[in-house]
Amino acid sequence: MKILDIKNLTKDFGGLRAVNNLSLSIDEGQILGLIGPNGAGKSTAFNCIAGVYSPSDGEIYFNGEKINNEKPWNLCKRGLARTFQIVKPFSSKSVLYNVMVGSFANKDKRAEAEKKSLEILKYLHLEDKKDIRAGNLTIADRKRLEIARALATEPRLLLLDEVMAGLRPTEVDEMVEIIKNLRDSGITVFVIEHIMRAIMALSDWIVVIHFGQKIAEGIPETVASDENVIKAYLGEEYGVS
Amino acid sequence: MTRQKLQISSLVLVGIITFGLPVVLRSPTYLHILILLYLYAYLTTSWNLVGGFAGVLPLGHAAFVGIGAYTSTILYLQYGISPWLGMIVGGVLAAIVGIIIGLPTFKMRGAYFALATIAFGEGIRVMVENIDYLGPFNLNGPRGLQIPPLNVGLTNLMFTNKEPYYYIILVMLVAVLALTYSISRSKLGYYLNAGGEEPEAAMSLGVNVARCKLIAMAMSSFLTALAGTFYAQFTLFIHPKSVISLDLSFEIAFIALIGGRGSIAGPVLGALLLRPVGDFSRIYFGATLPGLHLIIFGTVLVLVMIFQPRGLQEPLTRVYHKLLDRLIPVPAGTE
Amino acid sequence: MIYIVEDLINGILMGSIYGLTALGLTIIFGVLKVINFAHGSLLMVGMYVAYWAVSLSGLHPYLTLLLVVPVMYLFGYYLQDIVIKPIFKAERDVREPITVIIVTTGVWYILDNLTLLIFGPQYRSIQDNPLRGKMLEIGEMMISVPKLWGFFAAIITAGSVYWFLQKTRTGRAIRATSLDRDAASLMGIKQYRVYNIAFGIGTATAGIAGVTLVPFYNVFPTVGVLFDIKGFIIVVLGGLGSIGGAILGGIIIGVIESVGPQFMTATWTEAIVYGLFLLVLFAKPSGLFGVKYEW
Repeated sequence: MKILDIKNLTKDFGGLRAVNNLSLSIDEGQILGLIGPNGAGKSTAFNCIAGVYSPSDGEIYFNGEKINNEKPWNLCKRGLARTFQIVKPFSSKSVLYNVMVGSFANKDKRAEAEKKSLEILKYLHLEDKKDIRAGNLTIADRKRLEIARALATEPRLLLLDEVMAGLRPTEVDEMVEIIKNLRDSGITVFVIEHIMRAIMALSDWIVVIHFGQKIAEGIPETVASDENVIKAYLGEEYGVS
Repeated sequence: MTRQKLQISSLVLVGIITFGLPVVLRSPTYLHILILLYLYAYLTTSWNLVGGFAGVLPLGHAAFVGIGAYTSTILYLQYGISPWLGMIVGGVLAAIVGIIIGLPTFKMRGAYFALATIAFGEGIRVMVENIDYLGPFNLNGPRGLQIPPLNVGLTNLMFTNKEPYYYIILVMLVAVLALTYSISRSKLGYYLNAGGEEPEAAMSLGVNVARCKLIAMAMSSFLTALAGTFYAQFTLFIHPKSVISLDLSFEIAFIALIGGRGSIAGPVLGALLLRPVGDFSRIYFGATLPGLHLIIFGTVLVLVMIFQPRGLQEPLTRVYHKLLDRLIPVPAGTE
Repeated sequence: MIYIVEDLINGILMGSIYGLTALGLTIIFGVLKVINFAHGSLLMVGMYVAYWAVSLSGLHPYLTLLLVVPVMYLFGYYLQDIVIKPIFKAERDVREPITVIIVTTGVWYILDNLTLLIFGPQYRSIQDNPLRGKMLEIGEMMISVPKLWGFFAAIITAGSVYWFLQKTRTGRAIRATSLDRDAASLMGIKQYRVYNIAFGIGTATAGIAGVTLVPFYNVFPTVGVLFDIKGFIIVVLGGLGSIGGAILGGIIIGVIESVGPQFMTATWTEAIVYGLFLLVLFAKPSGLFGVKYEW
C-alpha cells in the first residue's frame, strides 16, 4: 500500500492556481524527491498535505485514509511529521526542550520524554549541544534540530522542506547521510530540495513540478535528461533537440 | 552539602519563617499588609498560567475575581451556603466564563486579544453595576454587597482577628506555586510554552495549541475566582469598582510582567517588590503627593520593559546562581 | 420626533470629535502595529496645553492650535524616539511586540499621575469662553456650536492627514513602512524615523482633539481614560489603520450615545457599545473599513 497517495490535488489562492491537478504517490520506505523551479508550488503542496492549507480540489490519502483538511496536530498523531523551510525553533528554550516538545507526542511522562529526546539527539550528533539555547545555534544545527524535533514524534512519513538550504557542501553531505539513515530505519521521506546533487543522490523517485503541474517523474537519471525538465530550469533556448 | 540540599533547606527555612511570622509579628496592620501581599502574589501567579505560560496578554482578569467574590457572597447571604463551597462554585463558574471568553479570543493576535479581554472585563463590570437582580440573585448594583460579621468561624470563613486569614492565603499561595511548578515540568507546560512561542511549529509537533490555551485559561480563572472569595470574606464588603476594576486587572498583569511572566518565581517577586513600594508611598505620601505610587509603578514598568523584558527575575536568578556558586562550587565535569 | 433628529445631529457632531480623538490611535496602529494605550493621556496633555494657552493668553481656543500642534508633535516624536524605540529594537524578531503595549500603559500611568501631582485633581474649564454653551438654533433644534466647530476641525484634520499620506513623499514613506517595514527599509526608508513621524502626527491629532474638547469639556488629570477606551472601540469598529474608518466609527459611537438614552438608560448604552465592540472583534476584526493585516 502506498503510504502517501495524492490524487488530483489543486490549490487556488484567489485567482492564482498554485497547485494544478497534481497526482503522485510514495511507497513505504522510499525517499521521494520533489523538485521544480522557484514558485513551482512545492511548498504549497507540502502545506496541503500537512494540514496548513485546505485543498481546493483533489484528495490526499495517508495510509489509505483520506486526510484532506485534517488538523496538523492530528496528522502528527497519525505519524506524519514535517519540517519548515524557514526553521521555527523555540528559540528561547534549550535544544533538549525543543526535542522534548516533539517526544511528548507519544509520551506523557517527562522522564520518558527526556530519555527519548536524548536518544534522538545522540542519533543526530547533537547531544553535546543539548543545553544550548536554540536561538544561538548555527543554521546547520538549527536544521538538524528541526529534524530531531520532528523525529521525536515517531513519524512514519517525514516531510522535509528544503532542509539543505543555506548549508555548506560538507554540511549538505552530512545531511544526505542523515536522511539516508532515516530511510534505513524505516521512515518514509518526502523531500523538497533545490540542491541537485543532494536530491539526485538521495531519491529513489523524483517528481518535477512547474507552475503547479507535474511535468516529469522517474528515477533520477531519467529526470535529469528529460527535455521538459531542462527547459523548465534553464529556459526554452536550452531544450535538447 | 550538595546544591540541591542547600536549595531545599533554604526553601524550608523560608517556609518556617513565613509560617511562624504571625507568632512574632503581632501587629494587625502589618499582618493586613502581608495578607494583601500574599493575595496579590497569588493573583499574579494564577494570571501567569495564561499570561506567562500561554504567551498572551489578558487584561481583564479582575472579572474572575469579581465572579468568585459575588458568587460566594450571594450564596452565603441569600442561601446560607458556606463560603468554602461558594468558593468552589465561583471557581467553576469562572472557569466556564473563562472558556467562553477564550474560545473566540485565543484566535486573535496579541493586541486584539488584549483589547478583547479589556472589553470583556469592563463589560462584566458594567453589567454588575447596572443589574440589581440577576434572576433570583441580588447583586445590588453599584452599592455592593456587605457581609455582616456574625457567625464567625471556620465554616463561614470569617474571623475576628487576622491570623487565620494569614494562614489561609499563605496556604493558597504555596499551593498555587506548587501547581505552577508541576505544570511547568509537565506535558501541558511544554505544550503551552511551545504554542506561545511558535504556534505553527508546535501544531506540526502534535500540539493542539488552542485547546492547551483553553485549559490554561480555565485553570487560571478558577484559581483567580478563589481569591475573589477570600477577598470578600476578608474585607466583608464588595462592590464592582473594587473587585472588577480595570485598575485591578492592569495591576495584576503589570506586577507579573515586572517580576517576570513565564517564570515561576517572577510574579511572586514582582508582588514582593512592588506592593510594599505601593503601600509605602500610599501611606506616607498619599496626602502630599497623591498618585506617587502609580508614577513609580509606571516608571518601573517602562524601565523594566526596556532593560529587562523578561522581568526582574532574570537578573535576580543570575545573582542567586552566582551566590550558589560561591557557597557550593561545582567541580568541573559533574552535575 | 424632532428631538431624535436633534440628538442625531448632535451625535454626529460629537461622534466626529470622538473620531478625531481616535485618529491618532489608528495612525499609530496602522504604521507601528502597536496599540498606544497612552493615547488618552496624550489627549489629556493636549487639553491641558490648550487650557493653559487660553487661560494665560486670552486667545480664542482654536488659535491655540498654533502652539498645541507643534508642541504635541514634538512630544510624540520624542516619546517614541526615546521610550518606545528601544523596545522595538529589542523585539525586532518577535512577530507581535506585546511589550510595547505594556510600555505605553506605563507611560499612561506616569502621565496621568504626574499631571495629578502637578496640577491637582480639580476640574477646570476656561473662563470667558467665547464658545461655551453657545447654541445654534435651526428651527426647533438646538445644535451645540462648540461641537460644530469640532466637527469641522475633525473633517479638516482627517482630510489633511489623508492628503498628506497620499500625496507627499513622507506620507508615501509612511504608508510603505506600514505595509511592509522590511521592504520599505530596503528601499532606503529609515524605519524608525518613519515611526517617530507617525507617532508625532498621531499625538498632534490628539492635541487638536484636545483643543476641540476644551471649550465644552472639563479638563482634569484622568479625562483621557474615557476617551482611551472609547478610542480603541472606535478604531476597531472602523478598522485599524483606516482614517475614514476612525471618523465613521466615532460617529457611530456618538450617535448611539446620543440617541440611545431616548430609549434606555445611559449605562445600558454603555453596555451596547461594549457589545458592539466585541461583536466586531469576533465577526470582522478588520473593522468596517480596515485592511486585513498579515501579521
